[in-house]
Amino acid sequence: MVRLGLQLTLRAGREAIVRLVLTAAAVAIGVTVLLAVFAGYHAFQATSGRACWECTQAAPARSPASHLELWNYSENIYQGRFIEEVDVAALGPDAPLLPGLTKLPGAGQFYASPALADLLKTVPRDELGQRFAGTEVGTIGYQALSGPTDLVAIVGYSPPKLAALPGTIKVDHISTTKDVQGTTGIYRLAFGIGAIIVLFPLLVLINTATRLAAARREERFAAMRLVGATPRQVNLIATVEAVVGALLGTLLGTGVFLAWRPVLASISFSGQRFFLQTLTPTALGYAVLIVGVPMAAAVASLWSLRRVRLSPLGVSRKVSPPAPTFWRLVPLLAGIPLFVVPLLGIRNSLNSNNPQISPLIFVGLFLIMAGLVMSGSWLTMQVARALGRTARGGSALLAARRLADSPKTAFRAVSGLVLAVFVGSLLAAIVPVFSYAESTLGGNAASLTNVMRAPYDAGPGLELPPARATTLVRELGAYKGVSVVPIYANPSFNAQLMFGPAPSSPTGSHHEPAEQGQSPGGYAQYDSIISCASLRQMPALGKCAPGVSAVYANANNDILTDNPLEIDMPVVTANNPAAPSNTAGLGVGTLLVKANSSATLEKARTLLTLFDATMPMSSAGGLTAWQMGQLEPETFGEMAEIRNNDVTNAETVALAVVGLTLLVAACSLAVTAGGSIVERKRPFTLLRLSGAPGRTLYRVILLESLLPLVTAALVAAATGVGVAIPLVKALPKLRNEPNLALPGPVYYVAMGVGLLVALAVISSTLPVLARVTQPDNARFE
Amino acid sequence: MSAVHVPSLTLPGPPDGPGYLVEARDVVKSFGETPALRGANLSVARGEIVAVMGPSGSGKSTLLHCLAGIFKPDSGEVWCDGQRVDRLDETKRTKLRRQCFGFVFQFGQLVPELSTADNVALPLLLNRVGRKQAYERAVYWLARLGLEGLEGRRSGELSGGQAQRVALARALVTKPTVIFADEPTGSLDSLTGEMVMDQMVDSARAEGATLVLVTHDARVAAFADREVVVRDGLVLDHQIVGVAG
Ligand SMILES: Nc1ncnc2c1ncn2[C@@H]1O[C@H](COP(=O)(O)OP(=O)(O)O)[C@@H](O)[C@H]1O
Ligand SMILES: [Mg+2]
Repeated sequence: MVRLGLQLTLRAGREAIVRLVLTAAAVAIGVTVLLAVFAGYHAFQATSGRACWECTQAAPARSPASHLELWNYSENIYQGRFIEEVDVAALGPDAPLLPGLTKLPGAGQFYASPALADLLKTVPRDELGQRFAGTEVGTIGYQALSGPTDLVAIVGYSPPKLAALPGTIKVDHISTTKDVQGTTGIYRLAFGIGAIIVLFPLLVLINTATRLAAARREERFAAMRLVGATPRQVNLIATVEAVVGALLGTLLGTGVFLAWRPVLASISFSGQRFFLQTLTPTALGYAVLIVGVPMAAAVASLWSLRRVRLSPLGVSRKVSPPAPTFWRLVPLLAGIPLFVVPLLGIRNSLNSNNPQISPLIFVGLFLIMAGLVMSGSWLTMQVARALGRTARGGSALLAARRLADSPKTAFRAVSGLVLAVFVGSLLAAIVPVFSYAESTLGGNAASLTNVMRAPYDAGPGLELPPARATTLVRELGAYKGVSVVPIYANPSFNAQLMFGPAPSSPTGSHHEPAEQGQSPGGYAQYDSIISCASLRQMPALGKCAPGVSAVYANANNDILTDNPLEIDMPVVTANNPAAPSNTAGLGVGTLLVKANSSATLEKARTLLTLFDATMPMSSAGGLTAWQMGQLEPETFGEMAEIRNNDVTNAETVALAVVGLTLLVAACSLAVTAGGSIVERKRPFTLLRLSGAPGRTLYRVILLESLLPLVTAALVAAATGVGVAIPLVKALPKLRNEPNLALPGPVYYVAMGVGLLVALAVISSTLPVLARVTQPDNARFE
Repeated sequence: MSAVHVPSLTLPGPPDGPGYLVEARDVVKSFGETPALRGANLSVARGEIVAVMGPSGSGKSTLLHCLAGIFKPDSGEVWCDGQRVDRLDETKRTKLRRQCFGFVFQFGQLVPELSTADNVALPLLLNRVGRKQAYERAVYWLARLGLEGLEGRRSGELSGGQAQRVALARALVTKPTVIFADEPTGSLDSLTGEMVMDQMVDSARAEGATLVLVTHDARVAAFADREVVVRDGLVLDHQIVGVAG
């Protein structure tokens, strides 16, 4: 019987072959997308789950000496890209080895990640290469990296030299804790939601594809019953047919995925490319699909035959299937509170580790999406009945009756698109919240784009000492096109921080704040002192009152922020009080360095890097913020760009999800619309024979898709925006921006484009209609 | 009443020959290698009821489809009411079919999702007749054919004879000039078939419609004014029979 089934599937003429090819193609598309999603998820897991060697901590004092290693981790920037550098020196034979290395670099050697090695080959040494002491001896393996674009250097030192550098610690093992970045939790949440969102239309597509043209198939099965096949045999044959199509599709989809995998790996997804090695659905993923999809197809096929009583005299008479009842609204009505209620308690604090996120919201989301699909047929029926009561033309009547008669079939065709609308609306309501944080440097701050901030403030009284600051400013000034504005720390402000609020003198050494005079002229409410002459090099910072040579200012908030929206320029106006004109004795909290080209900028940054590395630890007894890995010399532009990247990534992912959903949905629609035409070949042809113009039939097909689509899409859009509201309120508040924005023009344009795509897809099936119903091919007697 | 026309046994007369409504002249039609019609001639007068007989596969349906402008003949001419039907483009032929012709086939011609009344009203709606009027006329025709009370049923819920009468109502509702029926009783038992045939012939006569009726059942043919036989793609015989009844 299986062999008979195979024979019927593969050798039963053109129609069977066409159906097989369509099924296989639709399944192949679904499987390709599924594999890509699996692979992306695996890569994401592998990447975010890689050992965080950066997290390595100092060893306890009693560790055995043979296991010890000196360790100094720092971050740096090259043209807006972060560079991670770790300096190591083995103290014993069993010093721990970093992942991605086969042996530790010796003194004067370093390993570079592939992307850094590429940069080092092309960029002049004084712009980048000089920052890493020694010669490059090898490449860091992917185990230590998050992606092929990571810039990492592992530099070998001699123990005495490394021990003298600020920030060096002794370690006895490399941390293997998972790399938990601040945003990983949000990404995981997004991935979970995204997976559900993408999976759903795929299931619909595969289900649709395997049930293609069921009515035509049923006629054939009836004929087999006539010649003596038992119902079980017919079911078996139907199953064989479905499985063959699905299996072919799965294999084809796997092939397409394998061919496209390198391309996929070269696409920057979530701002970062993945290693080809990690971009795999894993053996398990392949196995699940190759076994699961054909099995699902078999089940779907049997399910679709369950109502059909195939008597030898034909398909059991077409009696209207039970109309969808009000119960179909229940999952939607249940899903909304499940999704919304867990979010209600959370205000602006939803994050990865928030124990308040109940897994119920995933159940809720699933129910909402299932509910949209289920309630869609009920909605379709209601609208169709209303239209049927009022239809004026033949096409409206035909469409209305067909929709009222089989709302489930009709709605299935557009269910994918409706889900895409839901997803799009949900995201459209969420993304503006992030976009609000997205901004480039505006207004006065724009001219600061290429200004680098080098923070030297390690706490009150622990700034860059005056003598060293003078040297640094002079060395920087030696580069053509570089200008420097030192932001001095206000000793009175520091004194107040250390000894409580009391006016203090602006004079005196910052090393002994306690001994400073407590003069009322200290302006302890200002954190900085800036020389007016240097201000002229960066007009955006402001201008002193005429005749003043130095001013008190509150500059730190504006120049050290990591949020471009918080920059409030100018920091100096004519109202700022004058400070003593002699700044020579003041420590430098921050150096602002401006360069006229990116090459010069990187040269200056290289100088800052080397300068930092040679700053004796004893100078102030502490570590600067930079040395502690908190802030590295970064331009305002880079700061804004890094911020933007996160938002742009979120938008890209959102777009990718909506795009995928739309693609899959369009496939579903094409398959169903085409299938429904083939299925109704006979009545359509007869209508054309008796004089119904082709236009009328086109309109029928269009109406049958658009009516349920538009109705359900409106409900889906409202639901999407509705459930976004509590989600937005639960998200961390980025600033005091308006929390909720109604979807903007992009949304409406996108929805319009979606509708056009749907129209285009339906129109693409019209030639099929024309051919199938061509009177010349008719044979009715 | 009936307009009995006695055609000559020679070739048909001039194009606008008096009384001829539908004509096929030397119509040739092949499907690939298979010749279905090999020069068929047939003239049907206005109001005439003609039975087309012949063995299965002889070309009856093909001839009917050519006359109705469904098929374009490979060569030869098809005339209807002074118009060269085979020269019209598809749009004009579609319009002709919709406005002047009615069709009854063997089975399966009703749209399954539509109710009986919908099915009958459909051609009127397609002709842009108002909804109210369309349904009134549909209900009138259903009643006239003895189908009152079945207006809300689907085709799946009708017996074979009922379905054919609904199809007949649908063919008649537009007041067509010509009704083409291809083995309309072929799927019915003889008693039901006879009843449907009675109604078809009566209605056609009452409406003054011309009826071209394909059948291979001699008893069915007995309802006609005239009987022709198709064999191997040729119309063999222009046989004059008496007026039925
Ligand atoms: N659409 C078609 N495609 C191919 N062959 C056809 C088609 N329609 C009819 N034929 C062939 O043309 C010949 C006449 O068919 P038809 O007119 O249907 O005969 P009848 O109606 O008298 O039984 C037959 O040999 C038939 O197989
Ligand atoms: Mg025939």
